[in-house]
Amino acid sequence: MAKTAVRLDSGEKGFFGSFGEAFVKGDIFTKLSFVIWGLGYIGHGQLMKALLVTFVQGLGLYFLATSGIQSLMKFGTLGTVKMESTFDFATMKNVVNNYDNSFSILLLSVVSIIVIVAMVAAGMMVVASNYDLQKIRAQGKKTNTFLQDVNVYLNEKFYVTLLTLPVLGVVIFTIVPLFILIAVAFTNYDQQHMPPSDLFTWVGFANFLTLFGGGGLTATFGYSFRKVLTWTLVWAFFATFTTFFGGVLLAMFINDKKTKLPKLWRTLFMVSIAVPQFVTLLLVRNFFSDTGIFNTMMANCGVTGLLRNMGLIHTTYIPFLTDPGWAKFTIIMINIWIGVPYQMLIATGVLMNIPADMLEAAKIDGANPVQMFFRITLPYLLNVQGPALVTDFVKNINNFNVIYLLTQDVFATHDQALAASNAKEVDLLVTWLFRLTQEYYNYKMAAVIGIMVFIVCAVFTVVSFRFINKREATFS
Amino acid sequence: MKKAIALTLAGAMALSLAACGGSASVAASESTAQSGAAESTATGAIEDVTLTMWGAEEDQDLLRQISDKFIEENKDKVNLTINIGVQSESECKDTVLNDPEAAADVYAFADDQLNQLVAAGALQEIPAEMNLEDVKTRNSPASVDAATIDGKLYAYPLTADNGYFMFYDSSFYTEEDVKSLDTMLEKAAAAGKKVSMDLANGWYLYSFYAGAGLELGLNEDGVTNFCNWNEAPGADVTQAIIDIAKNPGFVSLKDESFTGELKAGNLVAGVNGTWRANDAAEVWGDNYAACKLPTYTLNGEQVQMASFSGFKLIGVNRHSKNVGWAMMLADYVTNEENETLRFEMRGQGPSNLKALENAASPALTAVVAQSEFASLQRVGNNFWTPAESLGSILAKGNAEGKDTQALVDEAVAGITAPVA
Amino acid sequence: MTATNATVEKQLQQGRTKKLVGSLFRHLFLAVLAVIWLVPIAWLVLTSFSTDKGINFKNFVPEGFTLWNYTNILFSSDTVTQFPRWFMNTFVVACFNCVISTCFVLMVAYAFSCCRFKSRSLLQNLSVTVNLFPGVLAMIAVYFVLKNLNLTNSHAGLIMVYAGSSGLGYLICKGFFDTVPVALREAAKLDGASEARIFFQIVIPMSRPILVYTIINSFMMPWTDFVMAKMILNSGLSENWTVSIGLYNMLGKALINNYFSRFCAGGVLVSIPISILFVIMQKFYVEGITAGAAKG
Repeated sequence: MAKTAVRLDSGEKGFFGSFGEAFVKGDIFTKLSFVIWGLGYIGHGQLMKALLVTFVQGLGLYFLATSGIQSLMKFGTLGTVKMESTFDFATMKNVVNNYDNSFSILLLSVVSIIVIVAMVAAGMMVVASNYDLQKIRAQGKKTNTFLQDVNVYLNEKFYVTLLTLPVLGVVIFTIVPLFILIAVAFTNYDQQHMPPSDLFTWVGFANFLTLFGGGGLTATFGYSFRKVLTWTLVWAFFATFTTFFGGVLLAMFINDKKTKLPKLWRTLFMVSIAVPQFVTLLLVRNFFSDTGIFNTMMANCGVTGLLRNMGLIHTTYIPFLTDPGWAKFTIIMINIWIGVPYQMLIATGVLMNIPADMLEAAKIDGANPVQMFFRITLPYLLNVQGPALVTDFVKNINNFNVIYLLTQDVFATHDQALAASNAKEVDLLVTWLFRLTQEYYNYKMAAVIGIMVFIVCAVFTVVSFRFINKREATFS
Repeated sequence: MKKAIALTLAGAMALSLAACGGSASVAASESTAQSGAAESTATGAIEDVTLTMWGAEEDQDLLRQISDKFIEENKDKVNLTINIGVQSESECKDTVLNDPEAAADVYAFADDQLNQLVAAGALQEIPAEMNLEDVKTRNSPASVDAATIDGKLYAYPLTADNGYFMFYDSSFYTEEDVKSLDTMLEKAAAAGKKVSMDLANGWYLYSFYAGAGLELGLNEDGVTNFCNWNEAPGADVTQAIIDIAKNPGFVSLKDESFTGELKAGNLVAGVNGTWRANDAAEVWGDNYAACKLPTYTLNGEQVQMASFSGFKLIGVNRHSKNVGWAMMLADYVTNEENETLRFEMRGQGPSNLKALENAASPALTAVVAQSEFASLQRVGNNFWTPAESLGSILAKGNAEGKDTQALVDEAVAGITAPVA
Repeated sequence: MTATNATVEKQLQQGRTKKLVGSLFRHLFLAVLAVIWLVPIAWLVLTSFSTDKGINFKNFVPEGFTLWNYTNILFSSDTVTQFPRWFMNTFVVACFNCVISTCFVLMVAYAFSCCRFKSRSLLQNLSVTVNLFPGVLAMIAVYFVLKNLNLTNSHAGLIMVYAGSSGLGYLICKGFFDTVPVALREAAKLDGASEARIFFQIVIPMSRPILVYTIINSFMMPWTDFVMAKMILNSGLSENWTVSIGLYNMLGKALINNYFSRFCAGGVLVSIPISILFVIMQKFYVEGITAGAAKG
């Protein structure tokens, strides 16, 4: 649907116009082709194409007839018949009534709407194309043979051949789920309304109200949302910049002529990349546990006692992953550990591309290394890596793995107001919404939070790209 | 050109979705076909039935053995295939509720999940014609209660010792010592050892408040809680827990760390369930002993700690295509013979009364002794996070020095909050 | 004369020692960093040889060494440790995902980089927008889409989910294609080559670094993802699992004290193919990512 929508409003202005003209001026075949796509092509002598388009149209109609239309009819209520089952001793099976499954209705409706929009658009194009054929024939010229048509898709229209399958995949596995979840934010899909045994229905903006004001849980949900959002942004900022600068500095340090055996050093740091992230994260979480090996080592060498005397901890161990403040610190540190080798790898490559004469010239002008870093290297890096930093920031806002694997089942919140809405101090918006769906089945609020995450990311992306583009414009 | 995209798009989408439309209609026709097939069984032909059963990792061999017997015993009536999948009982609902239709036909779970599973329609009510009376009478009344909601039995009791109790090193403590937590902590502290109980977990935290006579339970709507921990003497209980947590003879260990500390020889006693008690039995050998929970000091008086009782249950998925055979299987897994076998192979205390007569273990005795002070776990989902949060503040000795009344007030606000 | 010589000599000497000390500090600093980076990995490897099945909290180096953890997960499979099965499952999924994803990414990148058509910029903006939605949220809906296609609990379903949306990750690859000189394509076109031929015979052969980068990324995906896999392969039958679900499962509350060292052994084994792939293709990987990033 997204695709079609794009086409409609990107619209070559002539799209509706050319369809209208074609439909009005077209001959009987052109007109009929709007209803049965193949008829026009048969009338205009393109049998193969006729068969193909009719087959496609048939599939679409078959889907709509068998399940699409039924679902669309229930779309307004999302179903009214609850599941009931009675055990039949004679057959040893449950006899189940013909019940409605709200989620299936929602899903099939979304798909049906996409199919219908796509089919109407396609139908209009068929008419326009038939009108073209009609005109060509009226001029007495020959229309393309099937092989010629195929050839077009390897040349002028090669991009169509390239994009069809990937776009289809994205539509099915990204766009459809996305629409469904946006829809869920406007329903009461939660633990008390779970298909297949129960039904859920539309509730308008009630869930958004719960998040922002009004509704039973406002105090805690609104509070939790603010807290979690703040930490999400703080985390994304630190996670992005610590790893970026850490990587750059390490790369420069290793690349420096004074460093011997740069390859060996680089390899040493990259060993950690070879172990899959979830293995290292689960490992490290046990490494830093309250009774874990690292705490034993710290206690043995007296660090724990020192920190205790300084008043930084109140426990007999260092609560690396169990105290809110410490946990945030540890998580950012562990993320540096994970992220720096990657960034080093990238930075190494980018640094090599800095024009050597620029550096030479600066050296001759008597610039010291610090000046050279801030005047030449850093601007160059930011220029090249700027967009990547923005994407990294967004990725970190959604960095599910690091937070979830390090804190799930380990960290218990110390903020009772957060606990009331099942959030934790170290949660990102995504881990919070994940826990809401997986442990509390609160899909409606999770969907609302998901939309908020999107808005945050979108605003950030737009603003920062504006900034980058402006800077670039002045820079060059 | 756009036409081409739209065409192929519509086509391919229609193609893939025709498949899902198709599957929906197939499902419908399947169910009629099945009932037809079932009728034909009555007239002689042997039906093919495939069942999936979920059980804990450690139970896989046991379940395979029982299933094979079941298949053998019924081979003249039905051609059975039983697949056994891994699903830890304590987290069963998380998997089942994600998609009840995809869950196993028969699955084992801990009784605290019963109300959520029933609310989600994931459990088959056991009908009278399926051996209902026998199931009710052969199991201990408490275990039947644990599987019953509104007078309807929704699952088959499987074990009776899934609650928690106290176990200790009898070379360190005498039977007199373990009656009072104060004595235990004192002795442990003097020897540089520890007594462990996971305070940062609502399941265990409950025992202090319930011991003091405070209430927690499920409202009639089946999802929200009532809780009066913030009424007197709730604040004092909270203070008592803080004092215990600060005692050098005490440590609040999560399950994952418990065994390590045990093996390192740092623990002399623990409050936990059979799953960790077995580790202790291994480490302490003959000195391993178990008993009911001790008393703790509240406002200068000794108060007996209460507990949640715990049962493992086996339920049948209401969405199963073969509920009948699934119920027969669940029934079979929990009969006297197989619960005895379970006790022998896995050491789990039977809920079956006859099997229980022949079973004896320290854990089982302790659970029976504690049962007087134990109550059924009927708690809504909103209990756990606020209680965990309260517990972890207390376990760290209330480092920020928050007012104890404020602590319980906030916890109760979270526990009794409406389900959003 | 000799005096000045001596001072010069002395200065040189001082300079040399200063240099030496500096170099020493530099390498010492690097060594400390390297140790920090290697400690957890060392712990992983050491624990994988430990005779203690659980987590050792007290000693960094285990008390006894054994190969049992490896032999156990490789040869005596019970439901918790079906490592060879998981390895094969993951490998198959990884291979298919690799082929499909790489094709998708190349196709989309080429279309957006080298073809000109009206809806190009709109489609591009749309893809950026879609990428901003948290994937975790869409997971449950993806699951039900798969369920409607009857593909849950199958590796085919998993592959489709991994590969299906891979087209969205075209940015770096497009950045690389943008660096391929337009003149080259123009010349080929003048020679009468079709767009398809230019794609296959000119652009693809020139893009080895980015090809490698895409291949590694898509190949690694099934080895590292566990949330999606766990959701889709939910039958509880552990022989269908991928490595990541299996290893994650070993750290469950009930199992961790018995399986931690075997988890480590599994972690080491998984790292082997990934390291090999990495070592072989490292050069191209770096080239690909930097060339793509420079322009993307």
